[in-house]
Order: sequence, then C-alpha cells, then structure tokens
Amino acid sequence: MELTIAHLYPDVMSLYGEYANIAVLRRKLEAMDVTVTVREITFEDEPDVSGADFLYMGAGTERRQKAVLHSTSSCGPRLKAAVEDGAVLLFTGNAMETLGASVTDAAGKVWPGYALADFTTVETDRRDPGDVVAVSALWDAPAVGFMNKCSTTHGITAPMFRELPLGFGNEAEHGPEGYVSGNVYATHLTGPVLVKNPQMLDFFVRRLFARKGWDCPETLPEQPRQRSAYETTLRELQGRIKNQ
Amino acid sequence: MRLFLAAVVCRLLRFIGKLVGKGSSLPGKYALKICPDVLGRVKLPPCVIAVTGSNGKTSTVEMIAAILRAGGKTVVYNEEGSNQIEGVTTLILSNSTLGGKMKADVLLLESDERYARRSFKWFHPTHFVITNLYRDQLTRNGHPEWVYDAILPAIHPDTTLVLNADDPLVSCFARDHGKVKWFGLDECSVSTKEHHGVYHDGARCPVCCGRMAYSCYHYEHIGHYRCADCGHHRHDTDFAVTALDLEKGTLTIDGETEISLAFKSIYNVYNILAAWSVCSLAGVDKDTMAQIINNYILKNGRMVRFTLGSHHGTLLTSKHENSVAYDTNLSYIAHTKEPCEVLIIVDAISRKYFTGETSWLWDIDFHQLNCAHVEKIILCGKYVNDLAMRFDYTEIPGEKIVCCDTVPQAAALLQSDGAAALYVVTCFSDRDKLLGLVKKEEG
Ligand SMILES: [Zn+2]
Repeated sequence: MELTIAHLYPDVMSLYGEYANIAVLRRKLEAMDVTVTVREITFEDEPDVSGADFLYMGAGTERRQKAVLHSTSSCGPRLKAAVEDGAVLLFTGNAMETLGASVTDAAGKVWPGYALADFTTVETDRRDPGDVVAVSALWDAPAVGFMNKCSTTHGITAPMFRELPLGFGNEAEHGPEGYVSGNVYATHLTGPVLVKNPQMLDFFVRRLFARKGWDCPETLPEQPRQRSAYETTLRELQGRIKNQ
Repeated sequence: MRLFLAAVVCRLLRFIGKLVGKGSSLPGKYALKICPDVLGRVKLPPCVIAVTGSNGKTSTVEMIAAILRAGGKTVVYNEEGSNQIEGVTTLILSNSTLGGKMKADVLLLESDERYARRSFKWFHPTHFVITNLYRDQLTRNGHPEWVYDAILPAIHPDTTLVLNADDPLVSCFARDHGKVKWFGLDECSVSTKEHHGVYHDGARCPVCCGRMAYSCYHYEHIGHYRCADCGHHRHDTDFAVTALDLEKGTLTIDGETEISLAFKSIYNVYNILAAWSVCSLAGVDKDTMAQIINNYILKNGRMVRFTLGSHHGTLLTSKHENSVAYDTNLSYIAHTKEPCEVLIIVDAISRKYFTGETSWLWDIDFHQLNCAHVEKIILCGKYVNDLAMRFDYTEIPGEKIVCCDTVPQAAALLQSDGAAALYVVTCFSDRDKLLGLVKKEEG
C-alpha cells in the first residue's frame, strides 16, 4: 500500500510547528503498513501535486500568505484538478483563506484566491489569538486547538465545525468555523491540529483509506499519550469555559 | 497645573502602593486620567534609552544600568519590569520634581514590543535598542512580523536605532531610517554553515519572501544573510564581537577588549554586545564598560543553583512559548560534557494568562539532548503527555525518558535516586514549583 502526501510551501507557510501534522499522519499510516512518500512543494517551482493523495498547507504570516497568493496563480487549477481526481485536501490556519475567491488585506487590497470555493476573507488590524474548543460536524469528540487570526471569512454554508464553545468562528464569536466540500477540508485552527486531536487524525486516515479503496480496520492504532494529551487540554479548556 | 496634579497623585499612590505592596502601574494609570498628555509635558533627561525585542530585554537593560552607573551617570529604569505605558508613567513621575523635571541623567526603559507605540506617542527615545524578533508567546503576540508592525510606528526619525545586524527582520527597521548603529557577531567558533533547528524563519527574506542565502549561522535565523532577489543583507557593524570561545567563556569586542562570561550562552553574548553598543554611544569609556561586564552575574536570576538529594542542580530559566529560549538552554546542556540528567517542566504555560496552547513544543529542537552524557530526561507537569509525544518524534532512546505527572513526583524521584549533575529547563511560570522543594545554593 503506497500513498503520497504533498506538503505545500513548508518553508513559507509553517509558523506553528505544522510539520508535525505531516509527521503524525505519516507515522500513523506507516503503523498500518502504508508506505508514505512526502513531496515538499517549493515556492519557486510549479506546484506539482499530480498523483498526490493528501494535499496539505499550514499557516503563515499575513505577508507570507500574500506571497503564496501572488506567485502561484498556477496553483489554483492544479489543486482543483488534484481534488477532482479524488485527492483529500486539508488547509489549516490562514492557508484556509487561500482556497476562497479572495482575501482583502487590512489596507483594502484584494488578492484573488485559488478559487476552489467561493467564500471571501477580509483582514483587519485587530488580532485575537486564543484557545479553541470546536464541535465538529464530521467526528464525535470536540476538537481543541488554537487560532491566531485577524480576519473574518464570509459565505461559508458548510463549515467543518458547527459551533465553537470557545473561540472565534468564520465570522462570529462561537459561530461555525472552517469549510468542507467533498474532499476539501479547511479550518483556521492553527499548528499541529492532527497531533492535538486524535479523532481528527483518525478521520483523515479513514478518508485516505477510502480514497485508495483500501479496507480500513474498525480500530486504528493509537500513538502513545496522544489521547491523554488531548484529554488534558480538553479538560483545561472546558474548565475555562465554565469559569467564563 | 494638571501636570502638577498628576505628579502629586502619582507620587501619593506610589507611596501608598509601596506600603501595601501593590504593583506599579496603578499610580500611572490615574496620572494619565488626570493629564492624558503628561508624558509629553515632563522634561526628560538628555538621554533616553529604550530596549525592546523578543529575548534578553530584562538582562540587557540591567547590564546597561550597571554600566551607566559605573560611568558616573544617574539612571532611572523600570526594574520592576512594568513596561506598559501606565508603568512607564509611574516610573517617570516618581522620579521627577513636582514641576515635572526628571531627576536623572538617563531614562532607561525596557519596552514591551506591543505597547511601544503607546508609550512613545508623547516622547521618543534618543536611542532605541532592538535585540531580536523571534517566535515568542504567539498566544499573545501574534507573530514576529505582527510585532515588527507594532514597533515600527513607535520609531521617531530623530531616534538613533541600535540594531542587531544579524537578525534579518530587525534589520528591516533601518529601511528609510537615517540614524542607525549596528551591532553583530563576526563569523567565529560558534558559527555554522548549516542551519540548525526545527524551523527556519530566516529561510525567506522578510522584505520580499525570496530565498535567503547565509554565509554563516550563529544560532536559529541569526547570522550573515543576503537575499538574492531584493538584496536585503546583513549590514556592516559599528560594534562587533570579533572572537568568541563559548567553551572557555571569553569574547573579544572590536578586536581589543576581552570579556569573561559568567554565563556561557550565546544569548549572553548578544545581550552584552547590545549593552556595550548603546553605553558606548552614551559616552561611557571602554575600560569602565569592560570592568562591569567582565563576569557580570545577572541579578534577575535566570540561572539558579541548588541541591536535590545527591544531585547538584542548575535551573536554566527558559520561557514557555519561546522555542529560541529553550533551544539556547538545551544547547548549553548539550555542550557540557559531564554526565547529567535533565528535568523539563511544562505545567502552567503562562502565569499571566490562561492557555492550553502547546504548538511551540514542536518548534523546540529537543533532539539536541540526544547525546551520550545526557543520561536521563525527566518530563513532568500538566502537559507531560504533550511533552512525551514530542520526544517520541526525536531520536532520543525511549528508555532514557521518564514521565511524572507533577513536579513533586519528579522531585521525589530525583531526591531518592542518582547523583549526576541535574539541569532543569522551565519557565518563570513553573520554576518556583520546583525551587520550593530544593535547597538553594548561594552564588
Ligand atoms: Zn528579499
């Protein structure tokens, strides 16, 4: 069993240890006897995502995100083709915004997005970094994590998270967050989200097995301490919600 | 008149505050209510030095104060570390006449990166030292470029910037600014051709996002860089460490002054150089500076020695959410060659605000501890599972790693077992949990 991960622009878009998402996914797949190839897509080259099974991009600064939007106009059509070919896509942090129709920066300049979706994002000069607890539409356990955004995203009807007991959603406090359409997934949750959320990791492993047409076992192998780390964070954050 | 009233109220509240042991920002807060432009009305000393940056502010400021005082100057500075506008107001008014004239030769300010703009709306420093900009407390600060954008409007055209030439982002402050003095480290024994660390924020040019070429790295993204696309490059220095031997603990400034290091860390080298640069600009002579800096032991206590059972321990204070602070301490441990054990505590990520954010653990190069003389690594605290999982992604053999849920459990384990040198790496927010359980050593 062989599978290819395309990690887009890891030296431009990885501000919060996003490489760990790839590492943890890879180790999980390898524990299930999958041979994993990771293709790092560099910023200067034409983004070759052909044949990839999983497409990933993490968060960057506002300027880095614009650099990605500026010099990769060829990226949108290629991502679209890969997704139409059945590849599973996950963009986290402000990489999520690149999937939409446009990002308007704080100075009012409009940057066209990759246009895999028709949502739009507006940046502000206000930033509210903070912890997040998110109720998923796709798996049972609440997701935990962190967001560091200075934007609102409008026009999403199918979010990844139904509501945020803690945190700022696409366009409102506690509101719906992220984006899902077919095999395209995006969330503004930042950093190693697949490390922090074992159920989210399982979700994407199953999704990838489905993409490959492989039989997925009922229970997936667990990584030591991942679940207990998750439970600690969830307990801490829920305690905070109660105290609010 | 309002200035007078503000000064009186501030002094009075400061006096009461000291009696009841309350913090130093409240008097300034009331003074600002009475007279919002009070900082613009006070007559400041001829020399106003501000220091900002992600790491080393407090240590650098402390050293600058010591040098200036040895140089015969009276210095007022925010020793209590209250570096927002309210605290700065308290500091200034408490050290002024009621007519609003500051009684000092130098006003020295450790300035919060994010609030510099508010403080410097009414006055501006004559010298602004910017040490470095790293990933630091992203839960509060956003990210380094965001911090850069927050500092930029606080810079007045008349201010002399004293910049770390080796930091590509800090160097951007010199663009379109006339008065700049540069400090930096020549290529030396600590420099490497390859980048070390888990992430590389210097890989891309902060100006144009082009690929950056380094002729050498000192640590992380600090080194000698040039962008092939836009030409952004490390500037020639006005003050330089021209030779450095971290193992022996000596450095040479500008090819002529040799300094012995009480703490053999690359951090300390930059802090010393920053202090040297600005004090030199303030007119202190080289001999006086050298005398003070030689073997200077910081009072702010980032390093504490203690005994625990049969272990001699050294606590190396890092900052949670600051991978560079961790990395330099881990590097320090890796370069000691004697057998040792290492205790890492992540219990409360911050003492100032609540967060459960642990992404930063993945930015730390824990793999540095993969050396034979590090015999055992004890992980503990509320986030021990996050730590353990992070270590699982290094090549450090699992049998070297022991996990404890709480600090007392880890302390009990160390008390009963082993006699190797012990290094403790943790943050201000967690270190007292251990220091309460050990016997501190003097000096
Ligand atoms: Zn450039």
